Amino acid sequence: MGVISTSSRDAESRPVMARVPLVKAAVLGAVILLLALLVVQPFGWVLFNSLHDDATGAWTLNNYARVVRSAELIEPLVNSLILAAATALIAVGIGVPLAWLVSRTDLPFRRTIRVLTLTAFVTPSFIGATGWILLAAPNSGWLNTAWRWLAGEGAGAPLNIYSMAGAIFVCGIYTVPYSFTMVSSALDEMAVELEDAATTLGCGVLRTMVSITIPLAAPAVIASFILSFIQGLTLFGVPAFLLTPTGIPVVTTKLAEFYQLFPPEIYLAAAYCMPLLLVTGALFWMRRRYLGRKQYVTISGKTRAGRQIRLGGWRWPALFLALLMPLLSVFLPYAALLLVSLTRAWGQGLSWENLSLYWYWWAIFGNSETHTAIVNSLVYSTLGATLCVALGTLVAYIVERRLMVGASLLGAVATVPIVIPGIVLSVGFFAAYTRAPLNLYGTPLLLIAAFAATFLPIAYSHGGSILKGIGPELERAARSLGAGEARTFLSITLPLMGGGLVSGWFLVFIPIIRELSVAVFLITPKTNVMTTLIYNAKDGGNYEAVCAMSVLLLLITLFLVAVARPLAGLTGARRTSRKTATAAGVPS
Amino acid sequence: MTDISRRGLLKTGGLAGAALLSGGIAGTGFARLAAAQDDPLYAAARKEGALTLYWGSYEQQTMEAIRDAFKAKYPGIEVQLLRQASQTVYTRLRLELQNGVAECDSLGTTNLLHYTELKKIGALAAYDPPDAAMLPAAFKGLDKDTMYHVGAISLTSINYAPGKVGAPPTSWMALLEDQWKGKITTGSPAFSGDVASWVVAIRRKYGDDYLRRFGQQKPKVGQSNVDTVTDILAGERVVGSGAPFSYTLTQKAAGNPIDVSVPTDDAILNLGLTGIPVKAPHPNAARLFTNFLYSKEVSDILSKNYWPTLRTDVAWAEGRSLDQLKWYRNSGDDLAAEVAEGIAKWKELVR
Repeated sequence: MGVISTSSRDAESRPVMARVPLVKAAVLGAVILLLALLVVQPFGWVLFNSLHDDATGAWTLNNYARVVRSAELIEPLVNSLILAAATALIAVGIGVPLAWLVSRTDLPFRRTIRVLTLTAFVTPSFIGATGWILLAAPNSGWLNTAWRWLAGEGAGAPLNIYSMAGAIFVCGIYTVPYSFTMVSSALDEMAVELEDAATTLGCGVLRTMVSITIPLAAPAVIASFILSFIQGLTLFGVPAFLLTPTGIPVVTTKLAEFYQLFPPEIYLAAAYCMPLLLVTGALFWMRRRYLGRKQYVTISGKTRAGRQIRLGGWRWPALFLALLMPLLSVFLPYAALLLVSLTRAWGQGLSWENLSLYWYWWAIFGNSETHTAIVNSLVYSTLGATLCVALGTLVAYIVERRLMVGASLLGAVATVPIVIPGIVLSVGFFAAYTRAPLNLYGTPLLLIAAFAATFLPIAYSHGGSILKGIGPELERAARSLGAGEARTFLSITLPLMGGGLVSGWFLVFIPIIRELSVAVFLITPKTNVMTTLIYNAKDGGNYEAVCAMSVLLLLITLFLVAVARPLAGLTGARRTSRKTATAAGVPS
Repeated sequence: MTDISRRGLLKTGGLAGAALLSGGIAGTGFARLAAAQDDPLYAAARKEGALTLYWGSYEQQTMEAIRDAFKAKYPGIEVQLLRQASQTVYTRLRLELQNGVAECDSLGTTNLLHYTELKKIGALAAYDPPDAAMLPAAFKGLDKDTMYHVGAISLTSINYAPGKVGAPPTSWMALLEDQWKGKITTGSPAFSGDVASWVVAIRRKYGDDYLRRFGQQKPKVGQSNVDTVTDILAGERVVGSGAPFSYTLTQKAAGNPIDVSVPTDDAILNLGLTGIPVKAPHPNAARLFTNFLYSKEVSDILSKNYWPTLRTDVAWAEGRSLDQLKWYRNSGDDLAAEVAEGIAKWKELVR
């Protein structure tokens, strides 16, 4: 592999530590305490529940026995694994090339494609599924109707969204943003000297990409593969809408059935999540084995001279391919949702008399609950994402730089929550946060803490994959010049992570905004959020309202992203990279 | 944009009308307010000052209308409404009980088993709402210890697309005719309590053979039975089985091409129940609300939203009433087991 190791493993893993300064001890203590409260405790409750009987409340291993023995419970696990693996393959297969095109080439409209990919990200999966049902249901889907119109009435339906292929497709296209964002930020932050060196030595574009760029981005690619896989395992909306009609059960729809039973089998549901943990644990283990032997450290400090690969005649074909994603995940489904939201009664079809802005009027002015919910959604996601990224980055730093004994255990802890489907996690959070020491029930803090904990794995793995690309030399230089660990982190590492942290923040902020199931037992009338309102409208069959609120949610988030991104770009990445590059003695 | 101004006009007109009307009946209005002021229960509830509703019966819109009417009649009580699916609301209450949290004052869900279970563990308080006297006789005194009462009446029927169906099926049996093959949409008993009730009732009426033949009709099975309406409006299917009666009529009233057909072999009637937790933080407000459910105001709201009313003296929308239709309600002590068995049979025979 063309990756250059710049230091011996030993020196890298042990930063000079003459004494343990107070600040460091305090930070380590705080991180451990937060992890214990936010993650260990709720997960402990899930584990505790899994070992109890739903009917009697007595200790038992029976839940596990049932999971292992019953074919009816094995089948959904297998289906979920298929769905997850296919989702991850699509996400990486599309997301990585797309990221490379946007970050490394002179593809036209790069910024637009970035924004559109984030737009797909904002979409809650059940909304995406709804949009695609409108488009590709076998009898009524607009694309199928259009096909019949073109090819004749007897042409049949080429698309059937109610199928495993349909579910994989929808899960896949809404998961691409994960891999796209993680890999493109790795590519953005990557030092380009090695690529330059390869070019100087006569490597072509392709060879440079294969032997330098891709291996350097490997940590991000693998992390995004795992996150996409987990996403495929834990999504509820898509399989619920698209697979229920075909009778294909997956883990999340099965969990929903457990909750629907009387009495609800909550403890069995907890046990049923544990195989997911095993599978994901195995993935992380494989990642360690693969990445562990290699060094991804590149010479630190950055020259972001904006080296671009010229696509030449490929520019426009590449743009066409790059636009396919937004077309499938944003333009087509949102066109369908928009049309429905603009009708007074959507069953009447499209006509001038039926066109109306009523549902927007209703969502914005006619319904007091929406106001509170919009504000709540924004406040909780902002605070939750900030807490999550701060904690995730610190944990990643502690783990990558091995700042304490058992650091990798911290990393393992930070990875757990996202693997547990939201509906089960919600019960764990409920048990953990409603009693001492955290009596948070009914307060916004409950949701903020739950959201931060749920998405901690994203912040942690994203932070980790950025840190893997930043060599510790500058940090060591700072240390030898007398700076403390905290100062080193703040003045060297953090600025170097810069833009990557901003994209990491969005990677957490957006999933929080669209999250539904984790909140299900945690919201109260005063702390209601947008997604639960949308789901309630869906539950009540009010499709025009569902579509109008979804479009609003999308617009609000897009607006925020549009405002925040250039702001972050100005204050974050560019400035600091130039500064650190200068600091590192590299001419910018 | 014209739409908003049209609404605005209508609203102004409505306001003017309301003003005229209220002028006319000002006397009665004041009398009623005065009566409310004198009510010792209201006085006690007002002292508590707040009320938290955990409700799964009725959709968001109807529930909000009921809440707003309560607030208007009993000022000084802050009402918090948590509207989620019935089973979610119940699970939440159970979690609160397990963790020693008491937030809920009034529980309203669509499953009788929730209440028999809560009663068994001593989690419900007794209260006999005086205005429940106006309930249809069949639904009075459900619990001899007055720990739970009827909170909602929900009907499961057939719905269809009038433009696309010449003559709709008029019975559950008729759904098995060849002409409906590949045309039916329904919900899943594993996800929807209403569909589960329907499966139990159908098995009692016609046995498992019905489910087998129903499966051969290749119905599209969604989650909730609300999905039947969606499928019909979208044009994915034309006839819905185990379909929500009230909700279909709401959509019809909104101008959508859909209608109900009440089966001659009985609409399936499912009761929503309501009860007050023993640890309710605002027990008086909870009692006041429970009694308010049986007021004329609430039944008027229900009628307006196409729900069966909770008073014999308030007619349903479109002039319908309980005695006009044939209905059947599952009863018995072992419903939980029957539901579980029904779901298992469904999975075996339908999909």
